[in-house]
Amino acid sequence: MANKITLTANDGSIVEFYDEIKAQGGVKDVYFSPDKTYVVAFYRKPINANDRERITNIVGIYRQRIFDTPEGNYWKNLFAWPTKMVEWNGKTGIIMPFYDKKFFFSSGPFKGKEKEGKWFASAKLRNKFLPADQKGNWLTNLHMCIKIARAVRRLHAAGLAHSDLSYKNILVDPITGSACIIDDDSLVVPGKFPPEVIGTPDFIAPEVIETKHLALDDKQRKLPSIYTDRHALAVLIYMYLLNRHPLRGGKVNDVNDSGRDEELSMGAKALFIENPTDKSNRVKAQQLSPAELPQGDPAKMPYTICGPYLKKLFDRAFVEGLHDPSKRPSAAEWEDALVKTTDLVQPCQNPNCEAKWFVFDNTTKPKCPFCGQPYHGQLPILNFYYAPSHGKFISENYRLMVYDKQTLYKWHANNLVSPSERTSEADKKPVGDFHFFNNQWILINRNLPDIMDVTEKKPIAIGEYVPLTEGRQILLDKGQGGRLIVVQLVNN
Amino acid sequence: MRHLPVYILIDTSGSMKGEPIESVKVGLSDMIATLRQDPYALETVCISIITFDREVNQILPLTELADLQIPNIITPDSGPTFLGKALEMLCNRIEVEVQKGTPEQKGDWRPLLFVLTDGKPSDIQVYENIIPKVKNKNFASIIACAAGPKAKIEPLKKLTDQVFTLDTMDATSFKKFFVWVSDVIGVGGKSVGTTDSLELPGPPAEVNIVI
Repeated sequence: MANKITLTANDGSIVEFYDEIKAQGGVKDVYFSPDKTYVVAFYRKPINANDRERITNIVGIYRQRIFDTPEGNYWKNLFAWPTKMVEWNGKTGIIMPFYDKKFFFSSGPFKGKEKEGKWFASAKLRNKFLPADQKGNWLTNLHMCIKIARAVRRLHAAGLAHSDLSYKNILVDPITGSACIIDDDSLVVPGKFPPEVIGTPDFIAPEVIETKHLALDDKQRKLPSIYTDRHALAVLIYMYLLNRHPLRGGKVNDVNDSGRDEELSMGAKALFIENPTDKSNRVKAQQLSPAELPQGDPAKMPYTICGPYLKKLFDRAFVEGLHDPSKRPSAAEWEDALVKTTDLVQPCQNPNCEAKWFVFDNTTKPKCPFCGQPYHGQLPILNFYYAPSHGKFISENYRLMVYDKQTLYKWHANNLVSPSERTSEADKKPVGDFHFFNNQWILINRNLPDIMDVTEKKPIAIGEYVPLTEGRQILLDKGQGGRLIVVQLVNN
Repeated sequence: MRHLPVYILIDTSGSMKGEPIESVKVGLSDMIATLRQDPYALETVCISIITFDREVNQILPLTELADLQIPNIITPDSGPTFLGKALEMLCNRIEVEVQKGTPEQKGDWRPLLFVLTDGKPSDIQVYENIIPKVKNKNFASIIACAAGPKAKIEPLKKLTDQVFTLDTMDATSFKKFFVWVSDVIGVGGKSVGTTDSLELPGPPAEVNIVI
């Protein structure tokens, strides 16, 4: 048994660990605490004054601003944030919480390994190696992306850039739709603490790659920032939802040197594989291996299958903003679009469909884009309206697709409420639910005190139901921000 | 999807017989098992093994990591070390097995070459003639490992500046060597520093660097 070491941390508390390296990262050696609630990671090389100050801030003031708040407990699930600093044998160490066990494979060929995001973001790895019970479904992958966008939004709101967002630095669990940002000790404070890495291949923004040959102090040199985090975030979301890289297409930018080709394809000449006008970087599906299909071929699975809200943001990230960082969507915009997209999904009617959920598109003959199963039956779509001034409702271009046993929440009933880390326990409870009952679609009121059937001009008491028929108008909430729904029925 | 071709040349001359070659086999299969747990490697890495003694054999043609099986490696009781001939075969196999960039199709990554020997090339003339051709093949890295007390460093230094020596030829040192090889192979998926483009991980403590 290794010796137990006891140290006093920078905040005066006692830190214990066994003197045995349990894991090694790029720059740190990791030791376990006896109770396995935290780890101590020591930098192998002595750190400089700048790093020391940065880490002091990360375990101190930056941590307090995010975690010593009413929402602090929520964020603890989304970050493995360093909490303290220690010194031992001339080395500096940080204390970090143990990763939750859901972020380790519990069975199968990779048992015990961390769930690095790459497993879930690559078509080949998903199709060929990943056990089916580890993949989650398309909806839980959407939830996972919401967590990532939310965590990045929080960092950016604090003025911090992660600077190395990649599937290596975010552990994910598609089964529960969870994500946790790790390696938060290398955070960058723009203008104060410069970045040490330019990022991880696949996620480095084009302007960073394009200028990496310049000296660090060159004014033209672009280094990681909140804007480059936005690029990495967009790539992550695209990859988790579509299992291919948005810039890896068929265009060859240097015939002779694959390294140079890579640099151009991810940098100066980067071009979205689904760019609507410049089609020169389209994927050549015949060059893909069978394991990369069907996800690898955008002709079979275009990015539009992610629905209208995400399509718009992908366009901003990879068309308008690819070489113009200021046009890239913010993490908050991604979060909002992802949350709204969860309201557009339908369960696939094919019990063997791996995706299980898909964004319902009623502009064409609706079918699951993943397995091809057409949708049969009647389906209500609730179009949301709200009243900026009293009594005059305008469309929000926001809708909710109904499915059997689906639930309605406060954030649907009122546009001033949005689901986030601030959502109270009370607001997390559904306020209504939908059923296909006695051959018609109904909404049962569970907790909407002033819901009203506008068409019939009568209130719907708690526990009562209202049928969802074509054109029916239902006011969900009479207060400010309260939404009106107009029912539309699709038949297939 | 581009592949990362990895060529491993292993000395199977008589002096490797017994514990040394058995340790190499264990090291290799541990390395394959480790790489198979690495999603980056599983997606891109292809491996080929060429053995050399008086015969030169490509015992494993370039194969995707997931699909390969390490064939049995056998060593004759005695005989010369035809490293030159092995490099000739390497050059020929690369022509056939590595996808070159064309205007229509992206090429594979620049290949990695590892050479492991416990002696010196017996076919000196062939060896010296082939070296310029090997250097022309545009390897991302050529790493030579001189194992044991009889390995000669000088000839290897003509092939690459990255020559490492293993003092002993036991299972522990080979294991550490192969752990390091798998780190080198996996480096493409790691964070890139602001000051350097690609930095190889440092060699394990048991390996001595010859500069």
